[in-house]
Amino acid sequence: MAGIGFELRRILKRGTLLSLLGAYGYAGVIGSGPWVLSIVGILAVGLLTISTVIPKFAVTQFQVSVTYLIALSLILTGPFQLSYTRFVADRMFEKRNDLVLPNFHAVLLTVTWISGIAGLAAAIFLFDKESPAYRLLMVAGLVLMSNIWIATVLLSGLKQHKSIVALYAIGYGVSVAASIALHGFGLAGLLGGFVLGQAVLLAGMLGLVIREFPSDRFMSFEFFRRELHFKSLMLIGFAYNLAIWIDKFMFWYWPPTGQNVVGPLNASLIYDLPIFLAYLSIIPGMAVFLLRLETDFVDYYDAYYDAVRSGGSLALIERYRNGMVESARIGIFEIVKIQTIAALLVIVAGGGLLRALGISELYETLLHVMVIGAGMQVVLLGILNIFFYLDRRRIALYLVGAFLVLNALFTGVTLALGPAWFGYGYAGSLLVVCVAGLIVMDRVFEQLEYHTFMLQRSA
Amino acid sequence: MGDAGGQDFPKASNVDVLLLLEGTFPYVAGGVSSWVNQIIRGFPQIRFGAIFLGSRRSDYGEIKYALPDNLVHLECHYLHEHAIEDYQPAPTDGDAEAFGRAAMLHDRYREARAARGDAIAAGRAIEREFAALLPQMRAGGALDERAFLHSRESWRQITDNYRARCTDPSFVDYFWTVRIMHAPVWRLLAIADRAPRARVLHTISTGYAGFLGALLRHVQGAPLVLTEHGIYTKERKIDLFQSAWIRDNRGVFERRGGEVAYFKDLWIRFFEALGRSCYAASMRIVALYEANRQRQIADGAPAERTLCIPNGIDLQRFAMLRGERPADPPPILCLIGRVVPIKDVKTFIRAMRSVVVHIPHAQAWIAGPEDEDPEYARECRLVVESLQLEAHVKFLGFQKVPELLPKIGLVVLSSISEALPLVLLEGFAAGVPCVATDVGACRQLVYGHGPEDEALGAAGEVVRIADPQALADAAVRLLADPHRWRQAAAAGIARVERYYTQTRMFAAYQAVYDEAMGRAAEACAAEPSSRKRADGDAAASPAKPGAGPRSGCPAHATQPALVSTTAPD
Repeated sequence: MAGIGFELRRILKRGTLLSLLGAYGYAGVIGSGPWVLSIVGILAVGLLTISTVIPKFAVTQFQVSVTYLIALSLILTGPFQLSYTRFVADRMFEKRNDLVLPNFHAVLLTVTWISGIAGLAAAIFLFDKESPAYRLLMVAGLVLMSNIWIATVLLSGLKQHKSIVALYAIGYGVSVAASIALHGFGLAGLLGGFVLGQAVLLAGMLGLVIREFPSDRFMSFEFFRRELHFKSLMLIGFAYNLAIWIDKFMFWYWPPTGQNVVGPLNASLIYDLPIFLAYLSIIPGMAVFLLRLETDFVDYYDAYYDAVRSGGSLALIERYRNGMVESARIGIFEIVKIQTIAALLVIVAGGGLLRALGISELYETLLHVMVIGAGMQVVLLGILNIFFYLDRRRIALYLVGAFLVLNALFTGVTLALGPAWFGYGYAGSLLVVCVAGLIVMDRVFEQLEYHTFMLQRSA
Repeated sequence: MGDAGGQDFPKASNVDVLLLLEGTFPYVAGGVSSWVNQIIRGFPQIRFGAIFLGSRRSDYGEIKYALPDNLVHLECHYLHEHAIEDYQPAPTDGDAEAFGRAAMLHDRYREARAARGDAIAAGRAIEREFAALLPQMRAGGALDERAFLHSRESWRQITDNYRARCTDPSFVDYFWTVRIMHAPVWRLLAIADRAPRARVLHTISTGYAGFLGALLRHVQGAPLVLTEHGIYTKERKIDLFQSAWIRDNRGVFERRGGEVAYFKDLWIRFFEALGRSCYAASMRIVALYEANRQRQIADGAPAERTLCIPNGIDLQRFAMLRGERPADPPPILCLIGRVVPIKDVKTFIRAMRSVVVHIPHAQAWIAGPEDEDPEYARECRLVVESLQLEAHVKFLGFQKVPELLPKIGLVVLSSISEALPLVLLEGFAAGVPCVATDVGACRQLVYGHGPEDEALGAAGEVVRIADPQALADAAVRLLADPHRWRQAAAAGIARVERYYTQTRMFAAYQAVYDEAMGRAAEACAAEPSSRKRADGDAAASPAKPGAGPRSGCPAHATQPALVSTTAPD
């Protein structure tokens, strides 16, 4: 989330308590906007159609279909998200803005091919019992969402945060409205409306990109040259997205906990809703993470490298390093504090919330665990971002890989152990990875000057 | 002439005398290179090897001298160029004890600098630490280049030193200065490990070549001889004081007048340490003239090991010209040298303004190439024009010295810096006195050194630098008085024949080499198992009896003669 710091500091400069709230609010909207909107959008469709005359099952099928679209598109585009952001950042630093649009189109093409082929194959072989309209819409939806993630990543890297939130609001607004309008056509209608909204969203983003980056070439593939992209970032992107979803997949396809909903797609009655609610609860944590990282930490980070390069004394360099450590510590601690408050709130109000939504209170314990786990996911995100700033990609890769493996492993164990343990697989793996990450970060900061000066690559 | 690629250069696995040359022969034309050429050719029975150290290959063109036949080995290394390996450095801890000993070596240098007392003891302390450290500095050892560049111990030492000693605020400048300074050390060690075996090492300057000599001495055990023409350390100090590229990051209020910027001082001390290492390792330290010898002693050379061996000229070649001279001094003053600022040609031209007042027919000839500094040459011509001396001052370009000498009345040397200018000696040998500035050995050459030498008389006059009036007055005094002129010429002839002939120089160096080879043989005899090797040149027996040391089986090495017999003058 580059460049957001500028805006945040502008708000904070007013120095009032209200401005502080404003900054957090802004950070919250920016940090959480897109995916909160998507979750809220899906839930909204569900809630708003309850009263009308369509089989409830169709609504569930719609929600599950969209969830799978989101999950699969995120995993498929995982390899491209981080590495493409880095590619764009490097090119902009080199003042080669003319390469951004052509490579953007190249990546979109690649992503379209991958999602298109995968989607078509699935539609033909796995969804053979469903209606052709549904299958077509699923393929379209997968391709659209994959493209949307890439465009989101690019625009985010270009500090167009307000535009992103606005476009998402418009897009999901159209999705919800169109879904409801077309509900008479059943599942296909709901899905069709949703896909329409996504198309609007993508069109808006593409227009914005083309306006920002004029170029004389339509498409070129520099991104795929070995020296210009980072394999580690591709692996990290893929592994992180997979790691987030793997426990859900396991719950969906484990017979006692999952049920078939549409085609080959499963869902888990007991697992899904608590997860969505838990993800909504991390909005404040995301805001805090963004605020701390993009203001204090980045300030000290810039100051550190400036002092190194432009002749600062060793004492000054160490002071700035300590500032980085301090702001990282404060940031992570603040995430923990605020997520604890959120967790406590959910624990207190959780039962009432579930009742209001018409969900059985048996899910309450699962909700508590998921809220804590989701909070730790924000901590992990903070840790990973700090490692990205310090350009220690290998460490980030190990952490994300560990998260993937442990999440799968622990979730499997909890599935075998029974319902009282559900949710602890996700939360437990995150706990282990966060603690490991903090320990490693401690060591890295301690040796930062040694690393900066003595371990540069000579070429 | 071989090409820079080095493929044409001769190679051998062992030599008698290994010359270590920094920025001179065979790539740079000049006094020192010509002297090296002279020495190699003067001892045809000695098998010479040479290691040339330069900055960058592209700084030098073709070699400027034909390689003598007895130069059996030549290798070139460029210290500012090296293949940069591309690797991702791994963090290592480093050996605390080894780095502690390296710190102790640096302490020995600091003590030697501060003490200025017993040079031999200080030198020995340095040598001891050195010998202990060298084996660890090879690749894979605790102090190899990678350990220096990447280990935590190295980092700890650099930061400790920075905190304790560095008065310049910038850490990054300090860090990289330290790195750049130490980088050649490992390269030089690698060069020393691969160098051909030598019986005697002879380095022609301190600096990096001298340091290489000290390393070779440790690696091979051969004795080291040092000849200094200019004093390397002094020349580097002048460079550094004038340099603009060294950063001084102190703020306005931090600077104190007279205090040198920390990094300049660091570089100066670095070169002093290089010099000290060379002095400590050398068994004979040769200067060209007395003032330089005193300088060496002040810089840490043990006085007992120093001696003066002035350069010598080929007397025969110039003595022949005496017959062509006129009886009365021709009113022609001649500056023989390149037209560059250090020769201060402008002072000579200005002096002519005064000379032509007293001697209307006087002429000034400037005999030297003008292509090294065309801008300066142009300025000189402008001075001639502005003083309206076009009729009197002629720029002759490069001339053969023997053709000039019979026609001129005085050799003029107005340089602001010289060592032992051969052009004065050549003039003396041909019967031409001189007027010279008081630089380098000029006073010694003109007036003599020591009572015996001084008794021969003055071979001209010595004046202050950059003083056109004094130069003019001295020239007029000599040219207007034929008797005085003839006396000065006679003094010059006597002096050069007695002290500055090539023969004398060769004899002195023969003695030095003999002494060194004797030492080498002693060392051999003391450790027969480690040093016995087939030198392979026992067959190259010289025709001259007693000339040059024998090689071959060390146990049967003959006691070398002290003076070689070459053709008498």
